[in-house]
Amino acid sequence: MFQQKSDTIAAVATAQGRGGVGVVRISGSGIAAVANAVLGKLPVPRHATFGDFLDENGEAIDQGIALYFPGPHSYTGEDVLELQGHGGTAILHLLLQRCLSLNVRLAEPGEFTRRAFLNDKIDLAQAESVADLIEATTTEAARSAMRSLHGEFSAIIHTLVDELITLRMLVEAMLDFPEEDIEVVDTTLRDQLLHNIQIKLQQTLLSAKQGSLLREGAHIALVGRPNVGKSSLLNRLSGEEVALVSDVPGTTRDVIRQAIQIRGVPLHIMDTAGLRSSEDEVENMGMARTHQTLQRADLILLLLDGSAGLSVKDEEILASFPADIPHLLVYNKADLLGEKNLALRSDAISISAKTGTGIEELRERMLKLIGWQNQESGAFIARERHLKALNLAQSHLVNATEVLNHPELFAEELRLTQHELNCITGKFTADNLLGEIFSRFCIGK
Amino acid sequence: MKFSEVFDVIVVGGGHAGTEAALASARSGCKTLLLSHNIETLGQMSCNPSIGGIGKGHLVKEVDALGGAMAHATDIGGIQFRILNSSKGYAVRATRAQADRMLYKQAIRTMLENQPNLWLFQQAVDDLLVEQDKVVGVVTQLGLRFSAKTVVLTAGTFLAGLIHVGQANYQAGRAGDPPSLSLAHRLRELQLPVGRLKTGTPPRIDGRTIDYSVLQEQPGDDPVPVFSFMGNAAQHPKQMPCWITETSERTHEIIRGGLDRSPLFTGVIEGVGPRYCPSIEDKITRFAGKTSHQIFLEPEGLTTHEIYPNGISTSLPFDVQVELVRSIKGLENFRRLKWVGKKTFNAIQHHLI
Repeated sequence: MFQQKSDTIAAVATAQGRGGVGVVRISGSGIAAVANAVLGKLPVPRHATFGDFLDENGEAIDQGIALYFPGPHSYTGEDVLELQGHGGTAILHLLLQRCLSLNVRLAEPGEFTRRAFLNDKIDLAQAESVADLIEATTTEAARSAMRSLHGEFSAIIHTLVDELITLRMLVEAMLDFPEEDIEVVDTTLRDQLLHNIQIKLQQTLLSAKQGSLLREGAHIALVGRPNVGKSSLLNRLSGEEVALVSDVPGTTRDVIRQAIQIRGVPLHIMDTAGLRSSEDEVENMGMARTHQTLQRADLILLLLDGSAGLSVKDEEILASFPADIPHLLVYNKADLLGEKNLALRSDAISISAKTGTGIEELRERMLKLIGWQNQESGAFIARERHLKALNLAQSHLVNATEVLNHPELFAEELRLTQHELNCITGKFTADNLLGEIFSRFCIGK
Repeated sequence: MKFSEVFDVIVVGGGHAGTEAALASARSGCKTLLLSHNIETLGQMSCNPSIGGIGKGHLVKEVDALGGAMAHATDIGGIQFRILNSSKGYAVRATRAQADRMLYKQAIRTMLENQPNLWLFQQAVDDLLVEQDKVVGVVTQLGLRFSAKTVVLTAGTFLAGLIHVGQANYQAGRAGDPPSLSLAHRLRELQLPVGRLKTGTPPRIDGRTIDYSVLQEQPGDDPVPVFSFMGNAAQHPKQMPCWITETSERTHEIIRGGLDRSPLFTGVIEGVGPRYCPSIEDKITRFAGKTSHQIFLEPEGLTTHEIYPNGISTSLPFDVQVELVRSIKGLENFRRLKWVGKKTFNAIQHHLI
């Protein structure tokens, strides 16, 4: 509605370091001036135009391809110019400086995407999925981010909002126009609409939880007494020699974080110092950190020496686990058992880190315990703030069911539900939220 | 010619908003000038003779809590008081009062004329005095220049106002009052974003031609509500009931038949309407399933026969209006006292000033 003339921003859009191609992206109202200065002309829109990129003396800084996108049909919705040159650090730096000397300023992190959002090219959930797409470490995560970028998550939210609005209209008409004789709300219809919305919201929440797992991943704490084979298991799960493996108990002093993936779900494995009281100060520090780590875990794996069984000390360790975090007893060293079969509890599994026996089953159990449901249809990627909003929306709906006899309170709870959903797509944003979201992008996006 | 006094605040337009602005400004100690093109219309209720209702009543109470005039004037002039949504929670309850036009006007006039720091002057404002992007005063029709540190525009429906009846329209601020054209033009020149609003009114009816025997009486609430937080029921004049009737399928047929000559539906009228005041054309279209809509016959005062039929605000042409009203129960032999229609006017997006 109220078009403000925005200043022109520029940044290197390609990753730091050398590459075959480097891209400088420029967006704003001053594109024509920049194009004329650097290219000697304004290129034909959307035509890959080959030519020199010129400095202030008319000398070529680089040679490459220019792409001009007049707004509003561009990434940001404004006029955009992209200069694709050689990806050398010095050359890109020169090119960027050249642009910055033409009444253009350096873009802030995420500023291009922020403008895309502010110009209604994408909504907030889609903007976030751009960052998620860039940061995705697994194929599944990338695919889910892509779905979100295409607006699949947003579409689900919009459907929910539409249904909410229909319900709200039903109730609020009665409040706003009491003399129009709409006194009696069709309670059957109202209850049915409410029920449908609750079901849909619950499904969305479940899907979002999966999506959140794809993005945030889960933290797995690997705990056990010295020398039960934690480091061996870690190496086995991650497929690399990450942790130090030695025969001396207490070698893993620090909590090592190793990122692995199982079925595309990122997992952060935290190896811990072998739990035992020690004279060694360094070792004690390691163990204090271990206890801290447990609090943060989504799943705790207690590794045990299968040939020795569950000792008293193991029981003590088990008892110290936080009650609300799922755990799995992993009896290692199955290779040493020979013919002996272990009678296992339901929360236990037998493996051999050395030979690989039972590792697949371990992976499956781990996924299951962190709440991953293998979905045929793809999940959309979701962030913690999305989950938070969905949870709040759900609690307002619950409140609504408790005040069915008070139409104005019912209407208010429905309004609050819609508000939470609007926060997801960015239809409503708290002032500092945008700043927070876009500051985590990299510069150039 | 430059007026000798320099004011702190000039208020342009003496309707409901202008009255409150001028009184508030004067109350806080600012030397205030209220300019109206007609002093006799200060305190006039332009549309229906009622104050309050859903949303509107909330606003009046807020103004009252801040020391404003409206609720007080309503207690002095109110002839029927009701609380809407009384069976629901406190937050959505609203007070609504019918007021005697003349008593209400008198109450407002008394407050305006007895307010220290407040000057009243009858002059239409044609232009704004602007120096370096700052407003420093106004110029009136006669060329008088008034200086002030602040100018408050409360022109109501007068800016480039148009009244539409059927396919005819004419310029007016309100029925019987000229519009503010020069000022509207000037505001557009200043490149302030201007939008267009619309509102509608029904024809007024001679109460002597109404058959009350077939209508439902609607007395005020008992105990009688009081509008102002600082008022009491003893201030109220004699109370009168309203009467309720309704449209029929026949009425709706007549309206549908005239839609092709309704400026609303032919797109001649541009602008956004008030939320709680849909025209009858709007209502039968939006709530197509309803076979009848309620009409409230509101007395304009204790000493007049004029009745305001609330619920049939319209911009349909005269002949359709006549038939439409005739088809309403109790109004078959009605005689009209006044015609009005749909009103459109300029409005400035306030947050940009």
